[in-house]
Amino acid sequence: MFFHITLERNMQLHPRHFGPHLRDKLVAKLMKDVEGTCSGRHGFVVAITGVEDIGKGLIREGTGFVTFPVKYQAVVFRPFKGEILEAVVTMVNKMGFFAEAGPVQIFVSNHLIPDDMEFQSGDMPNYTTSDGSVKIQKDSEVRLKIIGTRVDATEIFCIGTIKDDFLGVINDPGVTA
Amino acid sequence: MLVVAKSPAAEASYFLDYYSHYANYKQDHTFNALSMSLGAESSLQSSSSSEDFAAFLDSELELASCDSSPNEGDVTNNEEIDPPQRSKKQKMEGFKTSEDLETERLVKPIEEHIGTSTLGKNVICPPHPGFFKGLCIRCGQIEEDESGVAFGYIHKDLRLGNVEMARLRGADLKSLLHKKKLILILDLDHTLLNSTRLVDVISDEEYLLRQIDGMKDDSDRSLFRLDSMHMLTKLRPFVHNFLKEASSLFEMYIYTMAERSYAIEIAKLLDPGKVYFDSKVITQADCTQRHQKGLDVVLGAESLVVILDDTEVVWQRHKDNLIQMERYHFFASSCRQFGFNAKSLSELMKDERESDGALATVLKILKRTHQMFFDPALGSDVSTRDVRPLLKGIRQEILQGCKIVFSRVFPSNSPAQDQPIWKMAEQLGATCCTEVDPSVTHVISTDTGTQKAHWATQNKKFLVNPHWIEASNFLWQRQKEENFSISNLPSHTIVDCTSKAQESVQ
Repeated sequence: MFFHITLERNMQLHPRHFGPHLRDKLVAKLMKDVEGTCSGRHGFVVAITGVEDIGKGLIREGTGFVTFPVKYQAVVFRPFKGEILEAVVTMVNKMGFFAEAGPVQIFVSNHLIPDDMEFQSGDMPNYTTSDGSVKIQKDSEVRLKIIGTRVDATEIFCIGTIKDDFLGVINDPGVTA
Repeated sequence: MLVVAKSPAAEASYFLDYYSHYANYKQDHTFNALSMSLGAESSLQSSSSSEDFAAFLDSELELASCDSSPNEGDVTNNEEIDPPQRSKKQKMEGFKTSEDLETERLVKPIEEHIGTSTLGKNVICPPHPGFFKGLCIRCGQIEEDESGVAFGYIHKDLRLGNVEMARLRGADLKSLLHKKKLILILDLDHTLLNSTRLVDVISDEEYLLRQIDGMKDDSDRSLFRLDSMHMLTKLRPFVHNFLKEASSLFEMYIYTMAERSYAIEIAKLLDPGKVYFDSKVITQADCTQRHQKGLDVVLGAESLVVILDDTEVVWQRHKDNLIQMERYHFFASSCRQFGFNAKSLSELMKDERESDGALATVLKILKRTHQMFFDPALGSDVSTRDVRPLLKGIRQEILQGCKIVFSRVFPSNSPAQDQPIWKMAEQLGATCCTEVDPSVTHVISTDTGTQKAHWATQNKKFLVNPHWIEASNFLWQRQKEENFSISNLPSHTIVDCTSKAQESVQ
């Protein structure tokens, strides 16, 4: 789920950046450091929307670096256990399929795929129902439910299931062709 | 959210109103049970989902009975407590329980769903089947489990437990037998191609670099320059046809001791459409034992696997599945690496012939194995068949009926049966012995002057050099003894030897 929250961070700035564009340099550094990172609490920081406040800088003892507490607003993405998401399938193999929803990688193992869907190998490996009506292959869109998440420094991993009601393929890339 | 059990009568009446509103609102039978108990004299009927409830209620009631003053004794002696107070208490419990029921229901759905209804009847997850970055792939719990096997070639964070692997292998076995396919594991270097570093290219080979520029649009090209790896690669003749034909009979894997980046580049050359080897490229990093390849990282049943590799040493545990191939030495650096002083194919500007080169020969053997495996004459149950005895049988036909004696091939002080050439001859179906007798058919020697060699010429037995056995092994056919006489014993590589054999076969 996406959130728009206010975060705070202490940014250190090298004295060479002090000058008329100090604030801009600080904001640029903030964006470079924070966008694209993950944390367990907030999830994946997608983009910084604005800087709310930059506090007074404190010169660190011993070095010339200055620490500014910066309050900023950012759009973050964090998957939750039990959440329902739409994702795009990236890889299908006999163990299940991998899907991506933005920065999050989700694995749906074949334990959590309905029993009537079977794996078909070939040049486009896919999972198909016995009557061929529903097909999950690369680039299909799937609605799935998250049952477990794990966050590390740069990526978020989830385990998902499509074995519930109203879950499964939304859009079949083969159909639209 | 718990309602404390101290409440004056006014609050009790409030609760009553609230509760009855609730009871009408919710249709659940547990609520009905509670609402019935409001008026009734009997104790709470507990339903299946409130088993814990009963215990919870009891504990809360204990609390309630000691805390609030109007309560006398505990509810279990319900007959003696006067109705209004009792109903009040029950209402309080009722309210509490309904509230808690509600919160518990809000919190519980996820766990319940995962535990029971929607994921199938028997989801017991403490035997976690496998892990994706520490998360169990069935229940989502995080467990740092280092058991099982890592499948880095499918996804870098995937690990599977033994039970799950056995299950997947069984499922794979069924589906392959249904499609009438076996499994083929291919090695890359010296088997399907030969690579050299650009720095190792000698002056005689520079014409190849010039050729590459003219080959850009040639779909049949076999010489490639991998700039990102600073290497030059030559695919073995017939490889594209080989892959195409083998793919209809086998599910193919690449298993190489090279690095992953190199293996992926080569897979792109061999399989640009990602049809044969998509997520089936196993490299050195995936091996569970150092310097040893194993079938434990292959999700396929061992009884269906045929391996094509130029070295036997790395397949110690699976020798029965291995078809050892003749090494492809195209570049000079490759010959030097193996200690051969003869000129390489690139220097001689020659190449293996497509029509009956090593790959074409092996393809014939593979087709024959496949045909024997799925032979309808053997009955309809294919699941118990094994490819290993079939390979053994085919090999043993090659030198069947030959009885061999070795002379000056290996030192006589070491046990003869352990010599590799002895073992190779026996694998090919010949019988070996150490002494001559009338039933001997062949004498293998490096020198025409030995006693046994003289005996052979006197008794009109075949006198051949040791390369005859090796050539028969690699060409899967008993070679003509005339081509392997000791006088033209070549001191150079097997490649030349077999190509010579091929030329004379023509």
